[in-house]
Amino acid sequence: MKGSWLPISLRETLQCAYSPRPLTSCRQQALNIRPRQFTTASRKQAIAAPEINFRDRRDRDPGRGGWEREREIGYQGGGEEQSAFVARLLPVSPSYFTAQPLFTDDFLVLQNLMTKHSGLPCVKPGEHPRVAWRSLSEYRDRVGETVKAAKYHKIVEILVRLNKIHPSVRPEEVQTALDQYKRNIDPFKNEQKTAQVDSLGRTLGAGRRKSATARAWLVEGTGEVLVNGKSLADAFGRVHDRESVIWALKATNRIDKYNVWALSMGGGTTGQAEALTLAVGKALMAHEPALKPALRRAGCLTRDPKRVERKKPGHVKARKMPAWVKR
Amino acid sequence: MAASINCWKCLSRPSIAVIQLSSRVARVAASAPFSSTSTNLALPAPTRKAASTTKGVKTNLKINKKPRPKESRKPPATGERKALRKRIVLSNTNALEVAGMEDLSPEIVDAIAKDTAEGEAGSGLVGKVVGLPGATVDSLRAIEAFKTTQGWGLFRRPGTLIRKETADLTRALLAAQKEKSTLTLMLDGAKGTGKSMMLLQAQASAFAKSWIVLHIPEAQELSNGVNDYAPIPGSDLWAQPTYTAEWLAKIGKANNEILKTLKMKNTHNLPVPIEKDITLARFCELGSRDPDIAWSFFQAFWTELNLPGRPPVLLTLDGMSYIMGMSEYRDTDNKFIHCHNLALVKHFADHISGTSKLANGGAIIGSTSRSHNPISLSMDLAIYQALQRQAKQEITQKDPFEKKYDERATKALQNASAMMIGGLTKKESRGLMEYWAASGVLRQRVDEQTVAERWALAGHGVAAEIQRGALRMRI
Repeated sequence: MKGSWLPISLRETLQCAYSPRPLTSCRQQALNIRPRQFTTASRKQAIAAPEINFRDRRDRDPGRGGWEREREIGYQGGGEEQSAFVARLLPVSPSYFTAQPLFTDDFLVLQNLMTKHSGLPCVKPGEHPRVAWRSLSEYRDRVGETVKAAKYHKIVEILVRLNKIHPSVRPEEVQTALDQYKRNIDPFKNEQKTAQVDSLGRTLGAGRRKSATARAWLVEGTGEVLVNGKSLADAFGRVHDRESVIWALKATNRIDKYNVWALSMGGGTTGQAEALTLAVGKALMAHEPALKPALRRAGCLTRDPKRVERKKPGHVKARKMPAWVKR
Repeated sequence: MAASINCWKCLSRPSIAVIQLSSRVARVAASAPFSSTSTNLALPAPTRKAASTTKGVKTNLKINKKPRPKESRKPPATGERKALRKRIVLSNTNALEVAGMEDLSPEIVDAIAKDTAEGEAGSGLVGKVVGLPGATVDSLRAIEAFKTTQGWGLFRRPGTLIRKETADLTRALLAAQKEKSTLTLMLDGAKGTGKSMMLLQAQASAFAKSWIVLHIPEAQELSNGVNDYAPIPGSDLWAQPTYTAEWLAKIGKANNEILKTLKMKNTHNLPVPIEKDITLARFCELGSRDPDIAWSFFQAFWTELNLPGRPPVLLTLDGMSYIMGMSEYRDTDNKFIHCHNLALVKHFADHISGTSKLANGGAIIGSTSRSHNPISLSMDLAIYQALQRQAKQEITQKDPFEKKYDERATKALQNASAMMIGGLTKKESRGLMEYWAASGVLRQRVDEQTVAERWALAGHGVAAEIQRGALRMRI
């Protein structure tokens, strides 16, 4: 969800809606109107100079820079007990004066981490765990700044480098930093389930087409096909539909090697027949995984996503317009 | 709007003058309500001339439709289109002659019967196509055994595939001939599995074995009210004179070879005198001349056939469910006549039920039709029960809550045996496809792959579907 170009107040709402987990847990988000530019206080150990002991400084340092001097003025009346009187709000992070202060902070945090842990051993090339990082638009929404792609890519580069540190020696802080940039859902964990041959020698495949769904069980046999308890000729009147059902077997020359027992429901005859193509194809692939390229070429593994196009207002059907009438 | 009487929505009251006028009109109308004298006497209204047409103004706003184009050629003569539709073509000179195809001779019929008795290693005729000899083809054509949908016109000469069921049926026929018993059989199976073809094969075998074959090719012609009918005096039966006369002619023509060798033995009570010692062929011919006497002649003919020393008889009927309920004919009370009150149908029903036997042996075979046929629950149940009886399974009883059973149909079919005809086996399919390939009709390699594919696509070898897929859908 892109929200970079929205007004700040709306961005806040968007972020609440889309981010259950804060990007940086340390970032202060208590206030409704987030004082972004002033809330880097807890990170300044990492970024800016160490915290200033004003009393010492006042004694010691005659030539002080602008923002520190102002802070000093702020504390002039406070004295020892550090009362909350603030004459003027001060930026906590020096990044305040950059174009993208939050991005700069994030970048510096990661860069420091990288330099700090650059000596740690890495895993062998290609053996590091695959991680899907947050996308640029997601990051932009988080920070609410106009971050360029190239800039964000620098962050990702550092993340990739940090990810190569061997997991057994990876420091806690590195891990937390990495976790902050990981996508909520790890797409690489989603492994496709492969159908197995069961104890009775059957494999099950499922397929869909239009609004029809089909399941097909395949066993080694002599080429008998039953669809919903009926033979192919009874189940489908069109020869083309019948051919669709056993297309996976025909394309691989295995019609007389397997028996098919299938159930199909929903949709029309063509939908059911072509849903069965997919189901039989997948079931066959479970028997013989080596047939995958052949089946892919025969179009027995790809779900056709086309559906009925919806009707539009002002149209008679999806595209059809009413007849033109003069006045 | 002016305040008229009829204007009921108007709030203003009608004036008195209007009310008086209207009541006077009503009184005048009441005095002579139906008189049309004045209108008749009145001069005819002057015919209004067409409205004066001013130049450039179109008066007729109606858009004239184009008249239907007149047919330039002569329409086909009566019956011509039907003849074209019903035409049976039995030969295709472009198809190749299949070398080594045997003819269905009496010896081959015996071999077929032996075939499955000895198992797979018999004469090896199962799964092969056997040609029909010329005389048999003529006879089969005479009894209208060939159908237009069976694809005879694709091949050089008629041939038929011998399958396991053929062997079973042939064996049963020969056993009936040997034991002089009557085989009663119902053939059933899905659409396109070859029920009519099985009848044809039985008839061909019967012709080869010198039986007398009687065939009703379309049972619906008996029951759907297209033929004339007349009550038979002294009974509740109805004859169908014209159909019977035509049928007798067909029987005489188809079985001419045998019938002309058989002489009348008994004297019968016939409405017309006939010569003595005429052949049965001649007798059939005489009976077919006059529809009014045809039924008596058929009865006499049947009696003659059942005399000792006559050949066995095969009586077949196609489309059994048409004659298992009420017909379209009506009796004198304008009620529908039950099919079994039609004399010809009753003749068949009596024989398939076993109440009348064939003295010289033979078979009564009825086959069902599974395309556009009426549903006969009794017949379906009878077939189902017969199959279960033959398989020695528990027999399904009829549904006690179903009212559509026909008692007479149940009674007629309860003793008959049944044969369920399914798809071809792969071996038979292969034999058929090899015959097509040898005829040059199927231009494709016939190997296990193609046979398996055709067999599966045809719903486990339904013969008509194999043919549809392999021969008709090619282009």
